[in-house]
Amino acid sequence: MSRATISGFALRTPLGGHVEEVARRLLAGERAARPNPRFDATSYACTLAAAILGEPEQPRQRRFLRRMGLFALEVATEALAHARLAGGDRLGLFFGYGGLRAHWNDMMPALEHQQANADDAWERGLKLFHPFWMLQHLSNNAQALAAQELSARGEGVTFGGANAGAQALGAAIHALEVGAVDAALVVAHDTLLEPETLVELAARGAATTRGAERLAAPYAEDAAGFVPGEAAAALVLERPSDAGARSLASIEAVDTADGAAGEPGAAVLGKLVERLLRGNEVIDGAGRATLELDFAERACLAERAGPSAALCCTLSAMGQLGAAAALVQAIAFSELLRRQMLPPIAGLRHPADGPLRVITQPEPTLARSVLGISTGAPGLVGIVRVELP
Amino acid sequence: MSAAVITGVGVVSAFGVGARAFFGGLSEGRSAITQIRSFDASAFPTRVAGEVPVITVDGSWLRSQLVGSSAAADSRLDEYEQRGAFRDRKVGFGLLAAAEAWRAARCGEAEKEAWLSLALGLEQAFLEDFAPLSAAGGVDWAAPPQTALPRVRLRSRLDLCAEVLGRYFELRGPSLVNASACAAGALAVAHAASLIERGAASIVLCGGADSMLNPLGLGGMSRLLAPSPRNELDACRPFDRRRDGLVIGEGAAMFVVESAERAQRRNVRPLARILGWGSTQDAYRATAPRPDGSAASRAIQRALARARLGPEAVGYINAHGTGTPLNDEAEAIAIRAALGAHADHVPVSSIKGALGHLMAASGAIELAACLLPFERGLLPGTAHHRDRDPRCDVSVIGERPLAARVEVVLKNSFGFGGQNASIVLGRAVT
Repeated sequence: MSRATISGFALRTPLGGHVEEVARRLLAGERAARPNPRFDATSYACTLAAAILGEPEQPRQRRFLRRMGLFALEVATEALAHARLAGGDRLGLFFGYGGLRAHWNDMMPALEHQQANADDAWERGLKLFHPFWMLQHLSNNAQALAAQELSARGEGVTFGGANAGAQALGAAIHALEVGAVDAALVVAHDTLLEPETLVELAARGAATTRGAERLAAPYAEDAAGFVPGEAAAALVLERPSDAGARSLASIEAVDTADGAAGEPGAAVLGKLVERLLRGNEVIDGAGRATLELDFAERACLAERAGPSAALCCTLSAMGQLGAAAALVQAIAFSELLRRQMLPPIAGLRHPADGPLRVITQPEPTLARSVLGISTGAPGLVGIVRVELP
Repeated sequence: MSAAVITGVGVVSAFGVGARAFFGGLSEGRSAITQIRSFDASAFPTRVAGEVPVITVDGSWLRSQLVGSSAAADSRLDEYEQRGAFRDRKVGFGLLAAAEAWRAARCGEAEKEAWLSLALGLEQAFLEDFAPLSAAGGVDWAAPPQTALPRVRLRSRLDLCAEVLGRYFELRGPSLVNASACAAGALAVAHAASLIERGAASIVLCGGADSMLNPLGLGGMSRLLAPSPRNELDACRPFDRRRDGLVIGEGAAMFVVESAERAQRRNVRPLARILGWGSTQDAYRATAPRPDGSAASRAIQRALARARLGPEAVGYINAHGTGTPLNDEAEAIAIRAALGAHADHVPVSSIKGALGHLMAASGAIELAACLLPFERGLLPGTAHHRDRDPRCDVSVIGERPLAARVEVVLKNSFGFGGQNASIVLGRAVT
């Protein structure tokens, strides 16, 4: 299995925009869930959200990028600086995003007077689209603008889907391995907080429909759906020999799909875990907060990692992060393992019965590695393994 | 390291459903650009396109095109029909192209371990969904769903086509969705070859599907002013002195790519070898290619280096050739920079004049066109190219295809923001 060295990172999450702050709040057991601060969602089935607080600071590219793309550009820039690298012909960009998120403020002027049969659609509003509307919604626009901003002229690709972050990591590691690039900037961004996404997640029973006072955590005996979240994160990867003393951790990534329309089953998850498991890893679980899925995940992990392996869940604190989850897990645990501390599963008061040692209080650890698991529909799994040098 | 070969191809294009229609249209040097018929586009600034000749993509039409599908597959087709998945035209096109490729490569139960590597365009939203939901300038999200299952309401997920293909063919391998704009099709196939080469997979179903021929897609493209302002059937004229923009196309091309050993073991005839690929980024501007073509040239050079071939090995280039003033000139410069003096002798063509720009699927369908030299000894022509622009200093094939025997072809694909990809194909060893 090929691996790469992490030499820089940056992130924007519902728990903060700096890894120290994120680690501190994870260890304090904080949850970012609150009534949706992005828009008035009080009439929705899912009213809670874990949102990045604040707005991106990249005004220069606002013509082409919207909020999450701008966050992606910010973390890409910061991560490259953190690694003390610059652009060039040998810097590759590997992006992952969850999928198109409609920007309703941009769309409504063009849509509000339309008829169901689409008659006279151009005159009824489509002519009001901003000339760059299409570019603002383009799948690879963040990658293209990051290439421009950072002078990254090496290999470039954007993957889409709920495990696109893990896909991007895998592609970057392979590109380093075969010498196609000398440094890989991997960026993932996703938000589940747009109106149509919340409607969909609630309709298929994935997102919680409870209020903050009754919100249960993943792996709890009364788990009843996850909190939708959002994040942008970036990692700079290099070959171990090139990173030298700048090495922060090593990383491997795998991904798969099981052909199911909904959440992936335990069998495919187990097979993928086996490819990365070496022993003594901490598990950062997928945290889907559904009794059956949580139990199946614990059972299949226990079968492979042992029944007393430690189970954490950063996604309980930050909400489900879609395509960005794998990168956020990697960054958070590089810092937590360095501090030799495991965070509690935020909000978990009454764990459901089942295998694995569920972490409910911050605890010291000598573990050097973690498996971060993330999942999403349709049947997608991404797993990262991070190990301290 | 395993060599990757193409053993099956399927195409849905403005020429019709099937690779036979596609290769037939190219062999005859026809153009399939027509007035848009699948919806009333008469008031739009852009009214011509390379439209697949079907008004409505639905379950009954798909069933009429699919040959010998199993009861289980038919049942999944019904399920997605009920969910409204085929309203996004590219989903149906991708399914038909994949079914043809799968059948052509004689895939069976053992091949269900295949990975999926697809290039898919944007998620689509559908205008007809919005009108009943919008009220007073906002969307009433509590309004009843328009389809049987709310999950497909208002947008077709980016990876919906991948989900449909995975379930229809009961594939057990991982699924990757490449969303790198107009270079995605070429990159998805390159990724498949990379998986084969490193031994991660021994068979991959790959390719691209896209359609922007709906009111929102056409509206957005029209406002971008990328299409030719003329609504003539020769609106897209790659490398021509009078070129003034692209024509939108739609369709799909899918391939079965597998290791040469596996193909030999299965006794399946390879159509071509995937010899090399390269990808770079312009890092220049969002809306224009790098004028000196330097990054695109490096993508070509990397593809050739990976194929362990010199420029003199290239016998034909299938260009990205959008018919826009900036792209064609920059691409010609890039070709000349990468191939040097050999560029004088290499025929170059673009099929976008005949079929339009298939966006995310363009690299895939144009790679399918690269099989024509191997299958029929013909290099595709460049529809509507009549007056070569001297600033595009390459040997452009005119409107008629050119008879020639070539051993190696090069495919270029360039995307928004300066995403460059090149692939080198070689004649299959028989």
